[in-house]
Amino acid sequence: MTRPDARTLALAAAFLLAIAAAFGPTTRAERPVYDLVAIVDITMSMNARDYVRDGRPQSRLDAVKERLVAAAARLPCGTRMGLGVFTERRSFMLLAPLDVCANFTAFTGAVSSITWRMAWEGDSRVSSGLFEAVQLARESHADLVFLTDGQEAPPLRADQPLTYDGKRGDVRGLLVGVGGDQLTPIPKYDDFGRETGFLSMTDVPQESRLGPPPADAESRPGYNPRNAPFGEMPGGEEHLTSVREPHLRELGGMTGLGYTRLGAPEALAEAIEANAVARRVPVRIDLSPIPAAAALLALSLVYGAPFAAGIRRRMRPHAT
Amino acid sequence: MTALSALGVDLPWVLLLLPLALLPVLVSPLRLSSAPADEVVPRDPLSSAIGAAIIAAGALAIASLIFGLAGFHLREQSIERRGSGANIVLLIDRSSSMDSTFADRLPDGAEESKSAAARRLLTDFASRRPADRVAVAAFSTSPMPIVPMTDEHEAVRAAIAAIDHPGLAKTDVGRGLLLAFSMFDASSSESSRAVVLVSDGAAVIDRRVQDALRDAAARSPVSLYWLFLRTEGAKGIYDAPASGEEDSPFSNPERHLNIFLKSLGLPYRAFEANSAAQVSDAIREIDQLEQRPTFYKETIPKRDLSPWCFGLAAFAIALLLAAKLSERRLDEDVAPAGAARAQS
Repeated sequence: MTRPDARTLALAAAFLLAIAAAFGPTTRAERPVYDLVAIVDITMSMNARDYVRDGRPQSRLDAVKERLVAAAARLPCGTRMGLGVFTERRSFMLLAPLDVCANFTAFTGAVSSITWRMAWEGDSRVSSGLFEAVQLARESHADLVFLTDGQEAPPLRADQPLTYDGKRGDVRGLLVGVGGDQLTPIPKYDDFGRETGFLSMTDVPQESRLGPPPADAESRPGYNPRNAPFGEMPGGEEHLTSVREPHLRELGGMTGLGYTRLGAPEALAEAIEANAVARRVPVRIDLSPIPAAAALLALSLVYGAPFAAGIRRRMRPHAT
Repeated sequence: MTALSALGVDLPWVLLLLPLALLPVLVSPLRLSSAPADEVVPRDPLSSAIGAAIIAAGALAIASLIFGLAGFHLREQSIERRGSGANIVLLIDRSSSMDSTFADRLPDGAEESKSAAARRLLTDFASRRPADRVAVAAFSTSPMPIVPMTDEHEAVRAAIAAIDHPGLAKTDVGRGLLLAFSMFDASSSESSRAVVLVSDGAAVIDRRVQDALRDAAARSPVSLYWLFLRTEGAKGIYDAPASGEEDSPFSNPERHLNIFLKSLGLPYRAFEANSAAQVSDAIREIDQLEQRPTFYKETIPKRDLSPWCFGLAAFAIALLLAAKLSERRLDEDVAPAGAARAQS
């Protein structure tokens, strides 16, 4: 018997490789997954429409809902995400962390159920809400994604600095700044939820009236020790809203959370991955494409080499 | 048609390699043997059948390798199954009083809070009933839809798991019920709709909300269950005040909520539970009552077919190999040099 030729060898190799591929060889690897709690700001300023979607204005809350779902879909499978809302001075847990991949329809449904109507009070003490959200995340053994425009209502007092009692960096995660740089009017709704225009300057407190009056109150216009201990309500722009980045960065610094501006879903997913703590879970990686591709290559050579040779011969008919 | 749409590939671009499967039609893996003329070879149907089989095996081997590499799979499918259960909306009180125990104390190691008991027992309830479709809503100062009607029971468990986080101040049960009535979707069959209200107190229902509730009850009939977690010392559902005492929704909200819910004309049951054991009994009773034929979806996960593709390819290549190994050359002993040229 003669020595088997190259094509026999290639066919034999292809056979063995295809058999190997059919048995589905795998290797073990680790994949990072995340445990997260996303808390969404549903205060009035989140109804401001400074996003654009398909050429139409989109409210901040709608942009957050859409991009949060899209970002969650981009995080590696096995990632768990919980859901909560923030308004007044409280963060409120709606959904404990659950596997987003496995329950995507329900998760999407839960995110799209969030509306400003769930809000139980008009105030927006972002700092208190954030501190409670950190607490909720810790109880859930998860990292925090806090999505807010950072607008405090009533505004914080400049003479009373914020303090944070918790341990800095105890819970990892990030603040996501929502909104544009331009001041935007905030829609106003009546008791039945119908939009009735925009907030005007006198609709919202332009200055905080919490705590004792400041030391210089007596020199303010309209001061009256009994009836107006803070003086007149000054004019201001608190009825307009833009993302308060310096404030959010300060809060991030205090609590040890990162900060990013709400961008495209890919960017949000990347920011989450950069700021949250990855838990490594073992996954099996399918290796069968490697022998399968090699088998395909061997087969292509078996057929392709004589084919190419045939073409070459036809191109140079007088060469032989 | 439906069978075809159930199939899919992960990497469609790999299918661009499919024209490679035409190669076997153009060339043979077998050695060419020179023969003076076609006429010399006798017509032989068996030979031409074998020739066609060799071409087909080659094409099959290449095509199935390519399909396997593209990640050919049976898509995730949901199969509608019949079961006995119900379409249930769980409406859960998240007021801060739920965070204390049945004895109205802060929970300690010995006694769990009402919300923790509700969480434990409702999770149990949901996991006992695979045929249910469940939606979860919460109410406190405002009503909050949490998970829309779903077959994904892990999401239901996650929504129930959130209820022992701190709650809010008030108990707006009227608007909560209104939300619950609106959460049934078109695919929840009318005969098996149930609202399970879990609360530890009640409140006055605004007259406008009362009217809206009567409307909703008339439009879409549901069975209504009120699981009242009665705190020690609190007024009960059935406690009529002594004569001479005020009897109004403001002084006895629980009693009057019960009267109002009865007046809706729905199949309605109220359960008063003073302890976790009684809650458990009540839930078991609801479990038995809500056993109606329902349709629910069961998802069958995606199935990877690429090992089968590779196996098929291996089989086809084995045929080719067999053909190759059994080839005999006409000029084997005569002119080895000629063979070398044909092989190039």
